[in-house]
Amino acid sequence: MVGLDFFVYAFLVPLLPALAFVVLGLTGKSFRNGGGLLAVGAEGLALLLSVFFAYEESVSTTGIYHDSSFVWMGLPDGTNFVMGTLMSPLGALMLLVVNIVGFLVVVYSLEYMSHEEGLPRYYAELMLFLTAMNLVCLADNFLEFILAWELVGLCSYLLIGFFWKKPEAASAAKKAFLVTRVGDVLFFVGVFIFFTSLAGVVNPSITTLPYQGQVCPGGQVTWACAGFTFAPPNANSNAPFLAPGTITSPGYGSNLMTLAGLLILGGAAGKSAQFPLHTWLPDAMEGPTTVSALIHAATMVAAGVFLLAITSIYIGFTSTAALVILGIGSFTSLFAGTMGVVARDIKRVIAYSTMSQLGYMVMGVGASSLVLVGPGDAMFHLFTHAFFKALLFLSAGSVIHAVGTQDLFAMGGLLRKMPVTAFTMLIGALALSGIPPFSGFFSKDGLLALTWAASQHYAVALPFFLLALVGVFLTGFYIFRLWFLTFSGSHSRTPGLHGHEPSWIMRAPLVALAGLTLVAGVLPLFGGFANLLPGVQWGTLGYSYTSSGWVFSSSDLMVAIASLVLAFAGVGTAYVFWGNGRVFSLPENSWLRAPHTLLLRKYYFDEVYDGLAHGVILGVARGLDWFDRYVIDGTIHAFERLFSQASERGRRIQSGLVSNYASWIALGLVVLLVAIIYGIPWLDSLWGGG
Amino acid sequence: MIPLDELLVFSGLLFSIGIFGVLTRRNFIMLLISVEIIMNSAILNFVTFSAYSPSSSVAQAVSGQGIAVVLIGLAATEVALGLAIVLALNRIIGSVDVAKAMELRL
Repeated sequence: MVGLDFFVYAFLVPLLPALAFVVLGLTGKSFRNGGGLLAVGAEGLALLLSVFFAYEESVSTTGIYHDSSFVWMGLPDGTNFVMGTLMSPLGALMLLVVNIVGFLVVVYSLEYMSHEEGLPRYYAELMLFLTAMNLVCLADNFLEFILAWELVGLCSYLLIGFFWKKPEAASAAKKAFLVTRVGDVLFFVGVFIFFTSLAGVVNPSITTLPYQGQVCPGGQVTWACAGFTFAPPNANSNAPFLAPGTITSPGYGSNLMTLAGLLILGGAAGKSAQFPLHTWLPDAMEGPTTVSALIHAATMVAAGVFLLAITSIYIGFTSTAALVILGIGSFTSLFAGTMGVVARDIKRVIAYSTMSQLGYMVMGVGASSLVLVGPGDAMFHLFTHAFFKALLFLSAGSVIHAVGTQDLFAMGGLLRKMPVTAFTMLIGALALSGIPPFSGFFSKDGLLALTWAASQHYAVALPFFLLALVGVFLTGFYIFRLWFLTFSGSHSRTPGLHGHEPSWIMRAPLVALAGLTLVAGVLPLFGGFANLLPGVQWGTLGYSYTSSGWVFSSSDLMVAIASLVLAFAGVGTAYVFWGNGRVFSLPENSWLRAPHTLLLRKYYFDEVYDGLAHGVILGVARGLDWFDRYVIDGTIHAFERLFSQASERGRRIQSGLVSNYASWIALGLVVLLVAIIYGIPWLDSLWGGG
Repeated sequence: MIPLDELLVFSGLLFSIGIFGVLTRRNFIMLLISVEIIMNSAILNFVTFSAYSPSSSVAQAVSGQGIAVVLIGLAATEVALGLAIVLALNRIIGSVDVAKAMELRL
């Protein structure tokens, strides 16, 4: 352990990819292969640093490194906007996730993207993406956070639209940008509420993000112990502010707090593709598969959950906001799963699974706020999910790279041709389904147990817990439908489809991610890793591991058994329908046809939003256009016409005849004489002969 | 000494004749002559008022005459310029009729 002094260099983690971005952006064309190796180098160093920081953070007894000495803007009233660095347990964990996945994706890109055009642009944008995401992890105040957050949005726009010549890709990029923008606007308003009302101008310290987990006097990092710089503007007021160090009751809060919490949820829902702002995520599959892996595992969508996690200490003040978060998350987890069941595109199935898993995380943050623990369980799921989701995407990328199609029904029988890919994807699928001993089992189990505990305090949460359980069944079903359709059977359904394993450059990240997927689930048992997950309750089959040893809870056991049974049932059902190369298709006259179409059309959300855009927004825009054209422009044009017509008339005076001008001069002389002789005395008499 | 009134009336007559010439003549040379007449009426006014100046200072008393000398010089240069314009006009449009010189119009 080097000590906290080393955290001074935390800024290097975003800086390294940023430098690579600048170099590649300016001189990328002069590198071989678009400068991929430079990107790998920069990201590798950032990875080493973040592993080191995460380790330091996990064993540290002081917990938090906070540097806010750099003042960006100072206001006369003493409010300072700083560009600070906050190294906290959650931030360090997030850095770890971002850079592990980022590094492996960049390595994988070396081969996967090698045949594409515009590689310097690709690597430069990738580096900017990772810079922005690292900044999100380290931001110490909302303003800095928003800057990084927006940069993340911009980069995902650029990368989703990487194949900009394809109209679908361009429109998917636009959609991702616009839909998340809706959430961002909500988020900004929420932050403004924090800035103005909740902090008060008296105490500008609220501009600091909540400390992400605190070290209590005993040295143990817990979620809510002490030292929030969150004092009420007036100590005597009974405003909804938390007295430092105590959370009295879960319902402690005000309407404004609820509103702020819900608005922040809006921002997170936009970024994390939660219902009803989820529509951009499936379309984002138009980007390169590597980008999908990055966006879905570690960067864009994880930012939303991270935002909820670090602000959950505020949101937890009001049970209403926390309940809405729980509800949205659990609903999305089921809602996305149903669409994943019918999708034909291999990447879209995984995209729906991302939405669904993010739903679990959001639900977990809501539940942890309800039972007043840290968002560790949700962050644990984010951690494990990052690896198996990146694994699934990169495996899918390997398949697409080999067979050149994304249609599941065109594949089949690839197991023998691509054994490594099939095997790594199987590990990813098992982890996603929540089958032990893969990582997804532990983290998902934790989330479900947490939600069950929350539903014991708030009965309203119980139906949402059940929705999440159904989601577990669907997860196993759709991901194994994908696996069976891709790999099982003796031959492919498309004649002449030749699969082959990619080279080791692409296989190495797959194997590495598979290894991480295997071990990530039990990491909280080792060293201080649990310190990075404030509030996590690591456990399995009813036993949970706490600082005082193993604790048994029968309700946790029930939840674990239920989710296990459902996960196995999902996988088994998938085997019945699709296993061994079987292809199940609905009979023409089946009553399931109508729901099937509904799911294929994604519940008609795109149509509804398009209708909304065409009807309401376009109508408003037309009205504004009319106002601009006829009222504002009309006024100006009227003046213009007035002057142009007046001068049109006036120019007739200009005859060009010198005698005429002379007459005018003479006339002027006469007028002047009359004015002097008669006018001045008249004026004098008017003012009293002064 | 000639009475002040007569001098001023004479000056006014000169001015009016000049204005009349400017307004009615179309020949550029006649116009120039009319302008000269107007100018001479102004010069006459200066000299008149200078002569009738109540000031006891000699310098002030003769200042009007000084201005008159300057104005005569001015008139000479004006004629030179005017005749140059007449020549140029004659070369361009083949006439000294100002009614035909309407190129200034839009």
